[in-house]
Amino acid sequence: MDTIVALGTPAGRSAIGVIRLSGPDSLSIARSIVGENYFKPEPSQPVLRSIKGTASNSILDRALLTFFPGPNSYTGEDLVEISCHGSPIVLRQVIDLTLGLGARPAGPGEFTLRALSNGKMNLTQAEAIRDLINAQTEAAAQQALRQMMGELSSRLRRPQQALIHTIVQLESALEFVEDDLPELKRQDIVGELTEVASDLHNLASTFEVGHLLRDGVRVTIVGRPNVGKSSLFNKLLAFERAIVTEVPGTTRDTLTERLGLDGIPILLTDTAGLRESSDRIESIGVERTRQAMAEADLLVVVLDGSEDLRAEDLSALSQAKSARHIVAINKSDVASFDTLEKSRPSYEAGSVNVSAVTGFGLETLRAAILEPFVAGDSPNAGFLITDARHYDLLLRARNEVQSSWELLQRGASEELVLIGLHNGLRFLGQITGETSTDEILSEIFATFCIGK
Amino acid sequence: MSFDEVFDVIVIGGGHAGCEAASAASRLGSQTALVTMNLDLIGQMSCNPAIGGIAKGHLVREIDALGGVMGRVADRAGIQFRLLNRSRGRAVQSPRAQADRSMYRKEMRKTLEGTPNLHLRQGMVMELVLRQGRMAGIRLQDGRKFGAPAVVISTGTFLNGVVHTGRQTYKAGRAGEPSSIELAEALKRLGFPVGRLKTGTPPRLDGRTIEWSAFEPQPPDEVPVPFSFATDEIAQAQLNCYVGYTSPGVHAAIRQNLHLSPLYSGQIRGIGPRYCPSIEDKVVKFADKDRHQLFLEPEGHDTNEVYLNGFSTSLPAELQQELIRLIPGLEVARIIRPGYAIEYDFVDPRELGPDLQTNRVVGLFHAGQINGTTGYEEAACQGLIAGINAALAVQGRPRFRVRREESYIGVLIDDLINQGVDEPYRVFTSRAENRLSLRYDNADERLESYGRNLGLVGDFDWERFTQRRDRLARLGKILEGTRLKRSDAAYAAISAKLGVDLGDSVTLAQLGKRSGVGVDIIRSILPAEKLPGITDSEIESGLADSLYAGYIEAQRLNVQRVHQHDSLQIRPDFIFRGLSGLSHEMVERFERARPLTFGQARRIPGLTPAALSTLLIHLSVCDHPA
Repeated sequence: MDTIVALGTPAGRSAIGVIRLSGPDSLSIARSIVGENYFKPEPSQPVLRSIKGTASNSILDRALLTFFPGPNSYTGEDLVEISCHGSPIVLRQVIDLTLGLGARPAGPGEFTLRALSNGKMNLTQAEAIRDLINAQTEAAAQQALRQMMGELSSRLRRPQQALIHTIVQLESALEFVEDDLPELKRQDIVGELTEVASDLHNLASTFEVGHLLRDGVRVTIVGRPNVGKSSLFNKLLAFERAIVTEVPGTTRDTLTERLGLDGIPILLTDTAGLRESSDRIESIGVERTRQAMAEADLLVVVLDGSEDLRAEDLSALSQAKSARHIVAINKSDVASFDTLEKSRPSYEAGSVNVSAVTGFGLETLRAAILEPFVAGDSPNAGFLITDARHYDLLLRARNEVQSSWELLQRGASEELVLIGLHNGLRFLGQITGETSTDEILSEIFATFCIGK
Repeated sequence: MSFDEVFDVIVIGGGHAGCEAASAASRLGSQTALVTMNLDLIGQMSCNPAIGGIAKGHLVREIDALGGVMGRVADRAGIQFRLLNRSRGRAVQSPRAQADRSMYRKEMRKTLEGTPNLHLRQGMVMELVLRQGRMAGIRLQDGRKFGAPAVVISTGTFLNGVVHTGRQTYKAGRAGEPSSIELAEALKRLGFPVGRLKTGTPPRLDGRTIEWSAFEPQPPDEVPVPFSFATDEIAQAQLNCYVGYTSPGVHAAIRQNLHLSPLYSGQIRGIGPRYCPSIEDKVVKFADKDRHQLFLEPEGHDTNEVYLNGFSTSLPAELQQELIRLIPGLEVARIIRPGYAIEYDFVDPRELGPDLQTNRVVGLFHAGQINGTTGYEEAACQGLIAGINAALAVQGRPRFRVRREESYIGVLIDDLINQGVDEPYRVFTSRAENRLSLRYDNADERLESYGRNLGLVGDFDWERFTQRRDRLARLGKILEGTRLKRSDAAYAAISAKLGVDLGDSVTLAQLGKRSGVGVDIIRSILPAEKLPGITDSEIESGLADSLYAGYIEAQRLNVQRVHQHDSLQIRPDFIFRGLSGLSHEMVERFERARPLTFGQARRIPGLTPAALSTLLIHLSVCDHPA
């Protein structure tokens, strides 16, 4: 039995998010993420720990961990509950961490299934839960999801067909040695597998963006004081949420609001202006800005286009540099904006001229915010993997194909090369439905004239 | 009704299934009758005179390990042995041999006649006799009645057989032999669902009329690899086969005369095997190929007859003669026996349990082509399992089954009884999930102890097996424990040969994980005295163990993860319609297949993951009612 992981609370922003790990490796995974080799809390007693990120010394969250040893747990197996703060980004990072340590995303209803197979429930309870799962299945049958599944299946068709094609070539070569088959062209198959692996990789990599679209994209507005961050924040929200004054440093705390841009959920955060300050309250605000910047999926660096750049602007730009960001040059309504236009440097990340007063350039800004998430030129334009299980299966399939590719290159015998191809096909089959041996045999007999 | 003779087990049919069934049942101590229409044709190879091949050779080895007879008989009658796939990994290598057709019959007959408790009886079976729904005996055409509580039917193509050559059709089980019509009717009366399949054979030529120099000789292996673990030496002189090709002229003539082929006129409705197509099918379905491969296979040492493999046909006999003469090298060849197609009845194998007993009639077992399979080896292994279980049933002992994880026999039976057949079923290595573990050379390690426990493997063979097992274990330790170091004399040469740097020190077991490491390399490191009594073939086995071990372990974990619910049971009366949220189509697929475990359900073609998920959740609920 392997160890599964899933978010136990509804997806999206909430005060607390509970991640559940179930299976034999639960405790050892928990040990790794808190960085304590002998971590073993008293059963059912929550303990507070820091969750360590993959980067050295980074801390993802302070969380409560509760260990429920099997068989006295919900699933009947060793189970660890991790109560994090409810940010979808943090929750995803913690789940990713467990995946990296060998956990697998749970299938629908899989925790309940384990509870059932371990005899942890009576019939009435079980049926209640089954109804719940059925209800979810019904919900899942809704138009949108069906379309998404259909779309995924159709995008998987090409790699799947290519996989079947290579399997047919290799299987025929070893099953029908006495038949007059065309010589196996290993280099052609290598080429074909390269494409399969890259198709699968491209699809899987849409998940990075895909999950953002489901949980909300964190867009954080940053810049030195008094460049008009809060005005822009209000303008994007289309109501006066943040207090705006002429006084630099008015915004002392981060402020987050939810909005939809073209149907994509955005968590927009206004921050305190970045500068060194002796004011204690303002310093705390700046610290929070840094925190918000670290969590953001996209930074909007605001500059004041009516003035020359200051050292604080350059500092803000350099702090944003390593993250995904765009530059908004504000105050296009002020006369000096145009005269400074020519002397402005160009920004690698692209810049947008706006006016938080007149609303000039706001449409362009909105488009620029969405642009990284709805890339139009990739082969998977507009299509994104949002389900962690699909992501996991695509990656596993890709790895299997990759290993076959390597064996083929090394001149290994067909039966070894075929292992990864069949496994890969099986993983994809868990998304689209299995390909049976008979279907592959049919393909062989349709392709080659077999038989004495 | 009183019986003229009473037995424990009756086997109907003396082909490859019937011979194994009768031999196994009698050696398990049951008084066994083998009833066949013509005792002189026991063990007849109806089609090509060859045993084994990829996956089929595996089956023969498995039969041998369980204590069956096919491998020993084939070794005595084999006239051209070849190990196929030599250039590939051990798991997909497989022995194959041309056999002397008449010698095979003679050796099989001798084997059966030398078996205590086994009684050969000639006659045609007309009727199955039942008492209270259980098998009680059979009635023959000549009026005799034999009693037995267990009956194995292994009638091959004889069940309602009809032979076609051109527009000529006649009832026959093989060309020139009567078919078994009343028995087919008896099965239908019992309510068995019966379908129709088709197979065919090519013409056989007079070897004196062949221009042999026009064909390319295909020599036998220098060192033959036998089928039986008990065979030390192949006694028969070894012969060449010959390879040639059809020509565009042949294809054109076939196309012009397609209307005379019963396959294309609609006269034949039975479904034939796609991997054994007639020459008509090859020409039509692969129209872009301008030649098809042919094999000239000698039928034996004492005959001129030559089997024209690759030219299976049901065209009119006189046309066959004309077509043959268009083949380069056969310009003056004469046909001794024309090719023909044969249609016959089969009973849906989903009627059977894993012991090959029918669910419908207690004591009735089916084996071989009656279950929709094709091939001597497929038939023989079913005969063995049915014969064993018929004897066990009569003796009140627990039934015997082999699992698909451990044998090709298990794969074959599991596929048959769960998925049924819609064309003649042949075994392929790709049907086995555990292909890497199911090697021809480890069939004894996998199965011999079952044969011993049943009582089919005698002391002598068991002793031979245990010694071999010990030698292999010793070899395994030697490979694990011997290191090849950079300072060793052989290091540079081996490293150069493999084209890789092997590091400072590597065990021979680790070395074995690399492709290209063979006996020669091992022998160059370990002198003969370090490997006492260990043969080259055993070294190959040891290396294969090393090569595959990592893959098998990874695969095991994978299977465990993906198929961890496979053993969940489904009640035979489970109502699939009762599963909420299943489409009509999914319900139908479930109901047609009637799986008994989740693993079987998972292998039903065409199911969606959602349908399987729904079933799984339901099964988990029902499995734990308290």
